[in-house]
Parts: sequence; C-alpha cells; structure tokens
Amino acid sequence: MGEANRKVHLNVFLRATGHHAGAWRHEDAHPELELDIDYLGQLARIAERGKLDSIFLADGYAGGGSKLEPFTLLSALASVTEHIGLIATVGTVYNDPFHVARQFASLDHISGGRAGWNIVTGAGSAAHNFSRDEHPEHAERYETGEEFVEVVKQLWDSWEDDALIFDKKAGKLVDSSKVHEINFKGHTYVVKGPLNIPRPPQGYPVLVQAGSSEQGKELAAKTAEVIFTAQQTFDAGREFYSDVKGRLAKYGRSADELVILPGLAPIVADTEAEARELEEELHSFVDTKRALDGLSERFTVNLNDYALDAPVPLDKAKPAEEFNGIRSRQEVILDAARREGFTIRQLLYRSNGGHGHITFTGSVLQTADLIEKWFLNHAADGFNVLPQLFPTGLEIFVDKVIPELQNRGLFRTEYEGATLRESLGLRRPANTRHLQQSI
Amino acid sequence: MGGSERKLNLNAFLAASGHHEASWRHADTSPECGVDIHHYVKLTQIAEKGLLDSVFLADGYWAHSGSLEPFTLLSALAASTRHIGLIATVETTYNEPFHVARKFASLDHISKGRAGWNIVTGAGPAAEQFSRVQHPKHHERYESAEEFVEVVKRLWDSWEDDAVRNDKINGILIDQAKVHTIDFTGKHHAVQGPLNIARPPQGHPVLVQAGSSETGKDFAAKLAEVIFTAQLTFEEAQAFYADVKARLAKYGRTADQLKVLPGLSPILADTEAEAREMEEELFQLIDHEGATKRLSIRLGIDLSNHGLDDRVTADGALLTDQVSGMKSRHQLILDLIEREKPTLRELINRLAGARGHFTFTGTPLQLADEIERWFHGGAADGFNLMPQIYPSGLERFVYKVIPELQSRGLFRTSYEEQTLRGKLGLMRPENARISNDSNDFNYSKKEVYL
Ligand SMILES: Cc1cc2nc3c(=O)[nH]c(=O)nc-3n(C[C@H](O)[C@H](O)[C@H](O)COP(=O)(O)O)c2cc1C
Ligand SMILES: Cc1cc2nc3c(=O)[nH]c(=O)nc-3n(C[C@H](O)[C@H](O)[C@H](O)COP(=O)(O)O)c2cc1C
Repeated sequence: MGEANRKVHLNVFLRATGHHAGAWRHEDAHPELELDIDYLGQLARIAERGKLDSIFLADGYAGGGSKLEPFTLLSALASVTEHIGLIATVGTVYNDPFHVARQFASLDHISGGRAGWNIVTGAGSAAHNFSRDEHPEHAERYETGEEFVEVVKQLWDSWEDDALIFDKKAGKLVDSSKVHEINFKGHTYVVKGPLNIPRPPQGYPVLVQAGSSEQGKELAAKTAEVIFTAQQTFDAGREFYSDVKGRLAKYGRSADELVILPGLAPIVADTEAEARELEEELHSFVDTKRALDGLSERFTVNLNDYALDAPVPLDKAKPAEEFNGIRSRQEVILDAARREGFTIRQLLYRSNGGHGHITFTGSVLQTADLIEKWFLNHAADGFNVLPQLFPTGLEIFVDKVIPELQNRGLFRTEYEGATLRESLGLRRPANTRHLQQSI
Repeated sequence: MGGSERKLNLNAFLAASGHHEASWRHADTSPECGVDIHHYVKLTQIAEKGLLDSVFLADGYWAHSGSLEPFTLLSALAASTRHIGLIATVETTYNEPFHVARKFASLDHISKGRAGWNIVTGAGPAAEQFSRVQHPKHHERYESAEEFVEVVKRLWDSWEDDAVRNDKINGILIDQAKVHTIDFTGKHHAVQGPLNIARPPQGHPVLVQAGSSETGKDFAAKLAEVIFTAQLTFEEAQAFYADVKARLAKYGRTADQLKVLPGLSPILADTEAEAREMEEELFQLIDHEGATKRLSIRLGIDLSNHGLDDRVTADGALLTDQVSGMKSRHQLILDLIEREKPTLRELINRLAGARGHFTFTGTPLQLADEIERWFHGGAADGFNLMPQIYPSGLERFVYKVIPELQSRGLFRTSYEEQTLRGKLGLMRPENARISNDSNDFNYSKKEVYL
C-alpha cells in the first residue's frame, strides 16, 4: 500500500468497566453488567459507529475473575453488529487445535468473515485446571504454539473453497475430491483431519499475536498479520516497529503484511484539565496495598514495606530470565521505572492505568496528535485502544477523537469491505492443501 | 406438577435442510444453508413463535457436509431470540471439563438462563483428530463421562450465587470468601478451580442425555433432566418410558425430574394423500446405493449384492454386544428387521426419514392425536421434533399442530418462564458447594488480564 493512502488502524480492547484498575468504582461504570450481553453489544455498536477495525478481548484460564468466554461472547456480538472485526484470544497450551480451528471457522462463517485470533502461548499457568502437572516453560510454549498454529491452518485448508457443490440433480452435495485429510504428525500433535466445517470465508481468520520477546517477535514475523504490543515511549515504539518489520523479509513477507498496533490507554476529555481530574479520580479508587501486592510479585521484596514516594528498588527485581510469565512486559515496566526514575507511587499509577501499555491523559486534540505522531513516524500502524473507563471513555474516543483523525485524513470514513481482512488491507490466503490426499 | 395440568415439552432438533437423508435434494430446501447462520436464526425464530421449549443440535467431529460449531452457533441464536431454550451437544471424550463448564456458563449468562447440555460420550470415534491413540470403549466412555459431569457441576458451583458484589462504595467487586477451589482429583481429571465466570443463572444449565443402552439409561436416571431417545413404536416407547422412570427412585429422584422426549419425525400436509405423496417424493430422492453401503457397515453384513426388493434378515449381523458406538440404535434396527421383515428398500426408506426415530406421515389432526396418545399413554413427556424437511416441515408443525395441541389443553399458550428450567418445570439446583468445607480461592493467584 502506498504511503499516501496508508490509514490508521484501530482496535478497541474491550472490557466491561475499563482498563484502569479503579474504573469499576467510577459512577459511569457498570460492573453489574459485566456478563450482560445487551450492554456488551452496546459497546460493540459504539465501536462500530466509530468505524473501528475490530474489537478484541484478553483471556486466560487461571480462574477467579468473572468474564464471558470469548467464542460465545464474540458470536453473540457478531449477531448485533455488521462490520466490525471480532478478535478472540485463545491460548495454545490448554487447548486442542481441532476444536480451536473449528470454533474460529464457525465464528468466521457466522460473522461473515470478521474473525481474528489473538494467538497466545499462555502467559499465566492454568495447569491446575487442566489435569497437568506444570505450566511449560516460555521456550517450549512457543515451540508447541508454532506447531499448534500450523495444524490449525492445515485444518482450515482441508476444505477447498469450492468443495461444496449442492448438485441436487446428480445427488452430489460435497465434491469429496476437494476435502482432504491433513495427516499431520508433529512433535506434539497428531491430527488426521479433515475439519468438520468448510473453509472460513476469510480463508484464515486474521492471525494476531502479542509476543514481544525475541521468540515472540520472530513468531509474529513468521506467522502474524497483526501484532499487539505494549510500548512505553515513542522511541521504544519506533525501535520495536522497525525491528519487527525488518524481520519480515526473511520469511518472504512485505512490510504491509503485518500491522503493528501498540496499546494506548487514554483518558480523554475536552480539555487537558478535565482529563487530569478524571485520572485523579480513577487513582483514588484503587486500593494501594493490594495493587502493590500485585506489583511485588515482580520483585523479591514486598513493595508495601517501602514508602510510597521512595524510589522503586530496581536492584531487587527478578532478572527477565527467571520470569516465566509475560517476559517482555516485565522488561517494559522495569525499563520505564529505570529510565524515568520512578517512585513506587509513579510505578503504581502507571500500572493502574494501562497495565503496562502507554497511558495518556489529555484533550481530544492532544490524543489525535499522539496518534498522528506515532503513525506518521513509523512507530505504529495504528493502535490497540484501551479506554481506561467504559462506556464514556470509548464514547468520547469514538465521537471526538475519530472525527478529528478523519478530518486529518488519517482514518476511514466508511468500512472498506465486508471482512476484517479487507478492513486491515490484508490478502485472503490461498489454499495450499490441494496436493493432499482426499477423503 | 398435578396430572391435569401436565403439559407437553417440545424441542426442535435443528438440521440443515431436514432430517430426511435426501431432504437436501428436495425442491423446497436450500442445501447451501448448512453453515448459514441466517438459516438457523430463521428456524429458531419459527420454533419460538410456536412457543417450543428449546432447540437442539447434534454434534460430532467428522466432516460430512460440514456444520457450525455448537457454542458459537447457539450463542448467535441467543442473541437473536428471547425465550427459547438452547441445547448444545458436547461430548465428554475429547473435551476438557474446565472449557466445557465455562462455555456453558457463558452461554447461560448470554442467553439469560436458556442453556442446556446434551451430554454424549462420543458415538463416533474421533481419536485421530485429537492426538489420541484410540477411541475408548462404550463402558469406559460412560464411566469417564460421569466423572466429567461431576467436575463440570462442581466448577459451576465454585462461585456461590451471591459472590459478585459490585460494591463501589467499599471497593468490593467480588466477595472472595464465596469463591472456592474445587480441588477435584479423580481417575481421569484433576481440576483445582474455581471457574473464571460466575455461577450460571440456572445454577446448572439443563442436563440432557440421549443414552438408551443399559449403561446409558442408568446414566440418564442418575444425572439427566431430559432424555432424548429413538423409539420406533408406541409400545417400545412405553416400555422405555416405564423403564427409565423406574430407575429414578434408586437415585433418590422423582418421576417428574426427568423428562422423556422420544424423537418424532413428521411429514405433514393438509390431507393424508398429499403427505404420502411428499413421503414418496423423498423416497425417490434417496441414494439407495450409498444407503446400502452404510447399512452394510452398520450391520456388519455385505448387502451390496442384495436385491432392493428382497427381504433382509439379521442373520450374521453384528450383535449389540459387539458394537461400541450407539448400542441401543443398533438393537433398534435388529428389532425392526425381526418385527417387520422388510425388503432392503423398505428398510432403507424406513430409516431414511430420521435414522431410526419414530416417523409420521399424515395430517396435523392425525399427528395431534398421535402425540396425545403417546403423552397420555405413558410413552412420552413430550417430543424431540425432527421435521424431515426444513424450514417448511417446522412451519407446518408450528402453524397447524401447535394450535391444535393448545386447544386440547396439551401445550402452553404463552411463555411464562424465562429460563429453560422453568419451561421444563425443573428445579434450580442448590449450590452443593456451600455445605462442603472447600477452600477459598487464593486471590493473589487470580490472572492479570492484559
Ligand atoms: C495487548 C496484549 C494483549 C494480550 N493478551 C493476552 C491474553 O489475553 N492472554 C495471555 O495469556 N497473554 C496475553 N498477552 C501476552 C502476550 O501473549 C505475550 O505473552 C506478552 O506480550 C509477552 O510476550 P512474550 O510472550 O514474547 O514474552 C497479551 C499481550 C498484549 C500486548
Ligand atoms: C436425539 C438424539 C441425538 C443424539 N445426538 C448425538 C450427538 O449429537 N452426538 C453423539 O455422539 N451422539 C448422539 N446421540 C447418541 C447418544 O448419545 C447415544 O450414544 C445413543 O443414543 C446410543 O445410546 P447408548 O450410548 O446408550 O448406546 C444422540 C441420540 C439421540 C437419541
């Protein structure tokens, strides 16, 4: 795509109450509607009114919180929207490729080609809920994750696009020479195929990835079409952008085949002063002790033993190699603390708002300026927007920031097509499977 | 529920173009509808107009002509309807209890209490799709299914009904003392819990089962709240009904805690002659060669050289004990051959309408009579409707048979209950977990959402 008609891509990271840890206590928030599909449908339609590319939700299986499950949720949202993409997070460690391939294909058919898969290798352990002894190590997770994705793609391709023929006269419903076994035998998975659903309308649902470690970036360069990332500064954003785009060539891919969307957790108001006021209010809702307990996990000491305005005890932080969870997020937060000489309070505020993504508090124009700066200077192809407060934070973004971006010629005024791939300017993948043995 | 006010429960078994195996070739159907969500939305809305209790879909992991996946499909249907129950088939052999518990809880929240689970143990082998060496045997499947269901129920109960507080003033989102680990360690599953979603509105989605073998019937009597079954005759259905209901007492349950819904596969027209004509038309569309092949595999005897108009005998056929898939359906076919001594063509035609479920060809009045006879004759609490042609067969049922059943006082005239349980007259289960001394979940381990 030429530089001239390059456009910003925007995804909203959906939550019922907001990305700020204290958002649910704000008067605008509706924690009681966390599981209410009508309310979540309203949020999806607000995002669609703003012509956003997609909606996305995070996911995990450790237990404790109460959220709707991604496939059921997104499928219900597909029924009350028409254009917006629907990206589900599904981890590879505790799932089965056959089920996952099928569920995404089904969501893609139901939504008319609007599904996307945020492939995660499972940042948190859920071994205790799946009859497993332990959560695999970071490297092993990426290895099996890669094989998992390969099986899923082969299953999507197990039906050629024109396998169904519906010939009533001849009594031929399926052309069985166009439905193939995959006979996959890998390190971890042995899957015969074919899948039990025709090829998805998009060929493959859009493949999204959010790894930022070396292995994560490499996998993204090889297989992902969208990458979510947490970058704390413009410079770090630029570096990440050129690093990842630079890896594409060796896999025979061009720069526009991977859309990079850093997270942006904004608090927007008509004026900067109002935005700051809202931010203060949100911080006031957070129980400091409990939040510090959470952050302490990254250090070998309890941060609650320190004064709030004391500097962060950086020397006590676990080295990245010893951290088996989200390795890169650990680095991001520590980097920010180091670079900016954070006090514990500043660290706390930063993590309250965007859990590691850049937070930004400002006016509508300032927010548009930030997006424009990152976009034009190749620090981003757009953003994964994490409103700190729902629904009002999403509404102001859609009703004020989006029109400003449109005025500047940076954002679409109508959806380009019917599918998520079309919104993102991604090609529909060809089916590679016709060489396989048919059933 | 008193005998006089006892009402029919009716479920529609959804399918692409209909339950007749040749329905897709009929002029009234569009076979392209297989993975078209609008088709299923339309069928479900028709069923909801008819005030049916629920819709249901079968499921399995082999290709055939392809189908939508149950959770995504039913969740989309939940968003397009308001009252009707939504029953998904999910098997216990190739799934994880945590995922299944969660998806049903989510569907139950999304539909505001309308979810049901048809628990199957995997009639068709699918080991090769799931990196497994072999499909477990019939009794092993039932044994592990029982454990699976137990884990799922405990996960649903891991949240007490009032665990979510949403107390903004005091900053208490969740009352952590009301969320418990389940610490389950069984023969097949080890699951700590808690689940990552609040207890379903119905407590537990309605548990449906479709076993008809000895093991299957016991399983149903112990756990199920609805049982689907294939019965070819009124007498067999009566015997099945009495048998299953009699098993309930040994599990401390009463007869009205399990609804028996035999399959009913009608071809309806205003006159009997027209209905017969339509039936004949469908017979003509059957691929008898393909059907002979499938029947040969099923019975374990080669029928490829058997004349279509020669009688079939069960000599040399597999015995039910030798079958590991659907044992009871196998026996049903053997009994049919014994009883009716059909020609090969007759046998194929007999099974083409609904694979061994009760078929009916006639007028709406005749069908209402038959339904009434089964309902009052101790053969059924209602039916699992399997129209041979979609959508027209369902439309006819809803617009012609339902009003007749209503005027006889046999069926509801409006939806009075929001939940599927309410419609079926089933109690909401207490949370079994409150009484147990299980552990509170340690919230420092709660996942950090990214
Ligand atoms: C926006 C965003 C959303 C993410 N969502 C999830 C999620 O829902 N579940 C999960 O396990 N990990 C999630 N991750 C974590 C990533 O999959 C990945 O583990 C993390 O970015 C660290 O990268 P690394 O795995 O290469 O160290 C998310 C990351 C980002 C940036
Ligand atoms: C109406 C009905 C629907 C069924 N749907 C499925 C299904 O979707 N998937 C499946 O594996 N088995 C299905 N079965 C098979 C049953 O689970 C069961 O295996 C079968 O009735 C034989 O009983 P048995 O297991 O006790 O031998 C269905 C049975 C009936 C009667």
